[in-house]
Amino acid sequence: MPLRIAIAQIAPHLGGLEDNLQRHHELIGQARAGLAQLVVFPELGLTGYQLQDLAAEVAMRLDDPRLAALAAATRDLSVAVSFVEESADHRLFIAAALLEDGEIRHVHRKLFLPTYGLFDERRFFAAGDVLRAVPSRLGLGVGIAICEDFWHLGVPELLALDGAQILLNVASSPGRDLAAGNEVGLGTASSWRILMRTYAQLTTSLVVFCNRVGVEESISFWGGSEVISPSGAVLFSGPLFDEGLFFVDVALEDVRRERISLPLLRDERLELQVREMSRIVAERAGLAPDATSETGAEAGLDLAPAEAAPREIGFARGRAR
Amino acid sequence: MSAVVSVPTGSDGRPLFDLPPELAIDTDVARRVIGDFIRSQLAQSGFDRLVLGLSGGIDSALVAYLSAEAIGAERLLCVLMPYRTSASASRRDAESVVAALGCHSEVVDISPMVDAYFGPEAGSRAAAAAATTTEATTEATTEASAVRRGNYMARTRMAVLYDHSVTFGGLVVGTGNKTESLIGYTTLFGDNACAFNPIGDLYKSQVRQLAAAIGVPRPIIEKAPSADLWPDQTDEGEGEFTYPILDRMLYWRIDRRRSPAEIVAMGFEPALVERIDRMVAGSEFKRQVPPIAKLGPRTAGVDYLYPRRRPGSKRP
Repeated sequence: MPLRIAIAQIAPHLGGLEDNLQRHHELIGQARAGLAQLVVFPELGLTGYQLQDLAAEVAMRLDDPRLAALAAATRDLSVAVSFVEESADHRLFIAAALLEDGEIRHVHRKLFLPTYGLFDERRFFAAGDVLRAVPSRLGLGVGIAICEDFWHLGVPELLALDGAQILLNVASSPGRDLAAGNEVGLGTASSWRILMRTYAQLTTSLVVFCNRVGVEESISFWGGSEVISPSGAVLFSGPLFDEGLFFVDVALEDVRRERISLPLLRDERLELQVREMSRIVAERAGLAPDATSETGAEAGLDLAPAEAAPREIGFARGRAR
Repeated sequence: MSAVVSVPTGSDGRPLFDLPPELAIDTDVARRVIGDFIRSQLAQSGFDRLVLGLSGGIDSALVAYLSAEAIGAERLLCVLMPYRTSASASRRDAESVVAALGCHSEVVDISPMVDAYFGPEAGSRAAAAAATTTEATTEATTEASAVRRGNYMARTRMAVLYDHSVTFGGLVVGTGNKTESLIGYTTLFGDNACAFNPIGDLYKSQVRQLAAAIGVPRPIIEKAPSADLWPDQTDEGEGEFTYPILDRMLYWRIDRRRSPAEIVAMGFEPALVERIDRMVAGSEFKRQVPPIAKLGPRTAGVDYLYPRRRPGSKRP
């Protein structure tokens, strides 16, 4: 039996937590009526994106009754929702929770907070430290990531290696670059499409991308939510800029089929990665001699200065050697 | 897929305008984004109507078309604000836009307001002198006078528009393009004053491309851009550049972060590169909100940071 996924490509109301909660309840109801088993909402779908100082005002603790009420609407259902989470020590995270059978099954805190170009997330939010795939009532492992998390190769890889067969990326991606040569007239969409196809193929996993729409201040979010098969084929490609609840049926057997015919995950060399990563970490910290740096490079750097004589920074390089 | 963008041809059989390939945009996506942007700005602020100053030039004509497409012509008021030396072609072209769209329009002659401040005689002398004089000293005097008058006209039009914002119950939509904003070819608190700007991230070449796609009348697309502050004034004549070259230079310099040396290596005139760099840096103040002296614990724009469309910001 196929898995029916409902993608809620919505335009959240900026700072309108109560409105957005109500909208989530409605859409979960519609998804249930449409026999979906998994419902995915976009990044900060409960709060809107450009919050700035509003972030603290719309933040919820994990024991917030409003979150419990949302979870209560998920009997016999899996739902991914995203909001501002305030931790017990009052850090604010961009979080996505997997709600199942009335409970909060898992919370992912955004790991990578873009603070460059048009982004300013690190100013307002703390970065998560934990990445875990979780088993779900769907009978397969789920890996949740939030937007920028997918611009770091390790994230989809670690989720797949940790047992995820379906990768969910919930996003608030601002559309930009309208150059006519782009695949769909939008540079951002072209970039994301390449990423999602590549990750699906390399992790031999289903990839679900749920991106919001709507306008906040100067920014237009472009939607274009997608579902990609474990072979990298496009199963669903949502409209750009339009709101909607989209139903997509996927065959879970495709994951098994692909992983047997293309056993990339089986062949992954984790111990090799751990070994080399450990070496690079030690070298970057100046705690080990750098086997691959140019002669004369400062501790922790790979390249020697172009002109100036090498200078010691921090503790003396000689000791590390 | 690499899209080939074709430029429509004008009455003389030549392309209507020069569109550098790297500046060509997907006009369907642009119209969609801008339409949503306009509707959102209105909805989020509690307005449903727009007011704009229609000069007869391509920028305001394009914004009129985009606004009508986004919210319907019946919710758009175009205000024509000629000064007595304005070109009659400007008036005619502006009226052609109003006729084509079927939007509300009003004509407010700003001559009495401007002349009341400067005196009518000074105006005629300055306009005539700016157009004809060659003598250096006279030019310096009249040039200053022309700039003052131009700025005053732009600010008078701003005041008229914001008054119509109240009487018509609409937001003032901006009509400045990216090229003129970057080189500072705008009047602070004059033509750059608005509630929001749908075309402020489009270079002039892109404005032309979008204008052709959305159906702005050809005479408006074809004619030489002008601030129309004195007879036969043109942007390109005054600035000694052409828009396609200037747009390309700004695109590579700013959007694509190329250094002056890299731009020169691409074939741009070194003197022009230097001059445009100076114009961009020198007009930074026109593109930013004025700084507030930081004194208290929380200061607007510094460490008091809210989206302008925060909950509660909507007009009741």
